[in-house]
Amino acid sequence: MKPRLSVAAFAALACTSLTGCATVPQNRRALLADPMMGVTDEPLDAARRQKLYDTREGAAGGDGTTAGGGCDCQ
Amino acid sequence: MPMDGREASDGGRGLHAWRRVALVATWMAAASPAHAQDTGAAAASRNDAAILGQSPTSLRIESVTTRITSFNQFGFGYQSKAGPLPFGPGSERAIILEPQLQVVALQGDRFRHVVTLPVDIVTAASPDAIDSGQRPPDVVSAASRNNVAGTLGWSGTYRVDPASDLTMSAGLHVEEPFRSWHGGISGSHAFAGGDTLVSASLLEVYDWFDRFDIVGHREGRANRSSETASVGVTQVLTPGTVVSANYGLTVQTGELGNTWNSVPLWIGERGAELLPSERVRHAFVARASQFLPWNGALRLYYRLYLDDWGLAAHSVEGQIMQRISRSLYVGALYRLHTQTGVTFFTPLAGPEDTLRTADSDLQRLDSQTIGGKVVLDVPVDAPMRMLHFEVGYERYFRTNNLSMDIVTWETGYRF
Repeated sequence: MKPRLSVAAFAALACTSLTGCATVPQNRRALLADPMMGVTDEPLDAARRQKLYDTREGAAGGDGTTAGGGCDCQ
Repeated sequence: MPMDGREASDGGRGLHAWRRVALVATWMAAASPAHAQDTGAAAASRNDAAILGQSPTSLRIESVTTRITSFNQFGFGYQSKAGPLPFGPGSERAIILEPQLQVVALQGDRFRHVVTLPVDIVTAASPDAIDSGQRPPDVVSAASRNNVAGTLGWSGTYRVDPASDLTMSAGLHVEEPFRSWHGGISGSHAFAGGDTLVSASLLEVYDWFDRFDIVGHREGRANRSSETASVGVTQVLTPGTVVSANYGLTVQTGELGNTWNSVPLWIGERGAELLPSERVRHAFVARASQFLPWNGALRLYYRLYLDDWGLAAHSVEGQIMQRISRSLYVGALYRLHTQTGVTFFTPLAGPEDTLRTADSDLQRLDSQTIGGKVVLDVPVDAPMRMLHFEVGYERYFRTNNLSMDIVTWETGYRF
């Protein structure tokens, strides 16, 4: 596991996303409205999956979500 | 093994970023001079509202969604005493039922409320033994018949202008012998005609719970607080590609364990778990969603996690969706998570160790999830707009002897 390499890959991806300057016209965004295209899961599905991983693995928190809590979390 | 249900309120903190991008774009288009006809229609609608006597601040239900999930867990961990050997791993067998409810309501043109109510019903949870009437209570070997935990969460999103949102959230989590409160604020702003959405959030969580020793004697109260700050950006790259990136920092202080976890000692006894009183966590998340030409979609997720307990983790996930008809699509997912253990994890500690844990969740491990789902959205006549159904199955398993079968069912009403 090489965290530095992963940070670099993440930074490259972030920069790539920030360079998407070409505006997509409003009338060409129909595909983005399809529920299949959400970059995150539907809220209740995301919540129950996050709870599963937060309470079974040691890597909760940090990304705008809660960490700890419940009687067996660190 | 009860789980904290607070996150559901965060998961329902208004719209997802990608949906906000689409909504902001729609709003800006409607507000532009090129859409004068639409503006005229909106004005007519307002006149109708005035004629009908509707208050501009009245609540209108937008959606009601219910989901119930069952977790059937098998496995063993050193933190559990429910095993055949006094110093070996004990059973982590549990069945968990988790009903969830989410109501989304609009108030006027600018205010959106999201109320969530997740509940956990757990068949095996040590805290339930606390109220069994035994003195001292046996929170360990009786390891419990059932436990119920619930959360009530609310978030309100105010649309400041066509490109900016401000969201506040609050919630309460109740679980014996545990109480937790959380509150947060977040904001987002769209640029480039809605193609770019920048967001930031702050979240405070305060936990207050009973302290026990490892044989179940109550020793007063303990608490912890968790502060999280995060920033993110979502970018529409093409008409069929959207990506997002997020970084967050969480600082936790206080009692960071459940207080009754035990650790086998080499002297032939069990000792208390000893954890640091502070933990600093970093997480980087990248997501992408790509429309596929055969009417499908590919969703990718990567998360890097680092903390000052020595735990580093990588999580990758892919989901592929295929639309079968206008109202039906199916999906499959695979997730791989790998983590190093915390530096003080040990299944056999020394009595003089100042830090020690045998919690298998903090051990070096790899976990995988495979699953699938079927989603049906059926258009219906007014007053409802859509009926939503989803059924899914997932299998979670990891290298240190824990596995779970998960079945989930969702029903939604869209107005």
